[in-house]
Amino acid sequence: MTARRIYVANRGEIALRIVEACERLGYETVLGVSAADRETLAARRATRTVVLGAARSQESYLNQQAVIHAAVSTGCDAVHPGYGFLSEKASFARACAENGLIFIGPTPEQLETLGDKLSARAFAQSVGVPVSPGGPTETLEQALALADRIGFPILVKAANGGGGRGMKLVNRAEDLAPAWQVASSEAAAAFGDGTVFLERFVAAAKHIEVQILGDSHGHCVHLGERECTLQFRYQKILEEAPSTALNAEDRLRLHAYALKIGKGLGYQGLGTVEFLYDVQTRDICFLEVNPRVQVEHPVTESVTGVDLVREQILVAFGAALSFRQEDIVLKGHAIELRLTAQDPAQGLRPSPGRLRRWRPAPLGGVRVDSHLYEGYLFPPYYDALMAKLIVSGADRSAALALAVSALSRLEVEGPATNRDLLVKLVNHPDVAANSITTRWLEEKFDEGSLP
Amino acid sequence: MTIDLEVLAAVVRLLKEAEFSEFRYAKGDVSFVVRRGDVSEGPTPPPSTIAPAPAPVAAPVSPSAPVVETDGAKVRAPLLGTFYSRPKPGEAVFVKIGDRVEPDTVVCIVEVMKLMNSVSAGVRGVVAAIHARDGDLVEFGQALFTVVEAA
Repeated sequence: MTARRIYVANRGEIALRIVEACERLGYETVLGVSAADRETLAARRATRTVVLGAARSQESYLNQQAVIHAAVSTGCDAVHPGYGFLSEKASFARACAENGLIFIGPTPEQLETLGDKLSARAFAQSVGVPVSPGGPTETLEQALALADRIGFPILVKAANGGGGRGMKLVNRAEDLAPAWQVASSEAAAAFGDGTVFLERFVAAAKHIEVQILGDSHGHCVHLGERECTLQFRYQKILEEAPSTALNAEDRLRLHAYALKIGKGLGYQGLGTVEFLYDVQTRDICFLEVNPRVQVEHPVTESVTGVDLVREQILVAFGAALSFRQEDIVLKGHAIELRLTAQDPAQGLRPSPGRLRRWRPAPLGGVRVDSHLYEGYLFPPYYDALMAKLIVSGADRSAALALAVSALSRLEVEGPATNRDLLVKLVNHPDVAANSITTRWLEEKFDEGSLP
Repeated sequence: MTIDLEVLAAVVRLLKEAEFSEFRYAKGDVSFVVRRGDVSEGPTPPPSTIAPAPAPVAAPVSPSAPVVETDGAKVRAPLLGTFYSRPKPGEAVFVKIGDRVEPDTVVCIVEVMKLMNSVSAGVRGVVAAIHARDGDLVEFGQALFTVVEAA
């Protein structure tokens, strides 16, 4: 195999994850960092590191020109965008291609289809995948009429938004007008388009997503589902595979929907098809596709034994998938916990600072994906993710028991973390019974029983 | 730092006869720079300078505080890109060692994806060193020039 050099266009734990995957493939890496990230673990591990710009993401990680210039002038063949930052930007994928770089992800056209909530929904419907009742609204009158048809409670959000930004829950008709106005002006300010999306809110909802992987030779497989129901304001906290909320029939239906989307698009690369599952009606509704590696990919790796980042890189270089659907066999149960520099006592406020102590417990069955080391200055400029603890066991209760061990034996001092909240969560009877919904943690915060 | 002034004087005498504009010497913990040429616009010798007659100016410096290399301000790359010392191939360089610069003097270009970004000195003084070559990839914050105070 020819020697390859991969430009890593990200930071934090995922940059390290990509550098390691490249090392195992025998590929060189060039990491572009901001001025605040010169001393990160990934910067030490990459074959070469270049400083792109100032600490602010707009001047470094989001600066497309600087990233492409750095990748081209350091002789890279391909760019791995990780998650967040430039990973879902069709314009960036296109600029890579124009400059002779392979973008490790789907095609720009696929990114365009999936990047806009409306076109993604329209595509899902066109291949026979159900979507939640709702639609786009350009005026308040349209919104009131649509709300009347789909019924309350209703979720109001920017049509072009993502990651839960600007979402509002409206329970009564009289609250719709103010929520719609705010969402519309936020959408106009953030995305230059004031279109607001209304969607029926499912109270007893589970967030379940399916990992898909496609190559450029027309193959597309799924690698089972993940459940990420435990969230706080749409930010995932605990993710697991497989989901224990699904029965066998619904699981097959869910996987089939994901493959309809993947095969319908001729999807190339690693992607996640997200769904909401209504445990009462057993309805499955398409939410969106995340066209990139996902934070919670390790739980799928744990139960399938597939190195997803390695496969993602290989298919981007044109390789055909080395396995078929029937080769993928799930084994055991895996749970990921996101340790963040957020203070549960302060409403999960970010808490950057110097890490005085960092000693994950060396326990069998625990994987730690992290860019931390003792003495590291956790910067205030980026997201709060410190580490992902991935525990696996023969079944869910064994994995949860290991999670309790891994969390309580973790030694971390310096920035305030959400560790104590995670301990409470993995010990909570509702979590043990998996009777929670996507709003469960916010309700517990509101009623004061957590943290 | 130990430097034998006899040796230094001998070097300067030898160089006096040679064709050169700048001579740099570094070995172990000793380094020095001898410069000749148009000093009327350039720096007057720093106080520590030994100036054997007539023209060459020798500035012996210790590695812990090399006068030319670290004294003075650094002009740094404001962004990552490719360094160019001249506006176009074949044209004169923006600045050369010994040139006097004002804060708004353009000293180089950093090109990012065909976009030419002029870099200004940002300080007043005399160019004492140039740290990048044409076509180099320079990173954000990398030192491109050293500018020393003109007396």
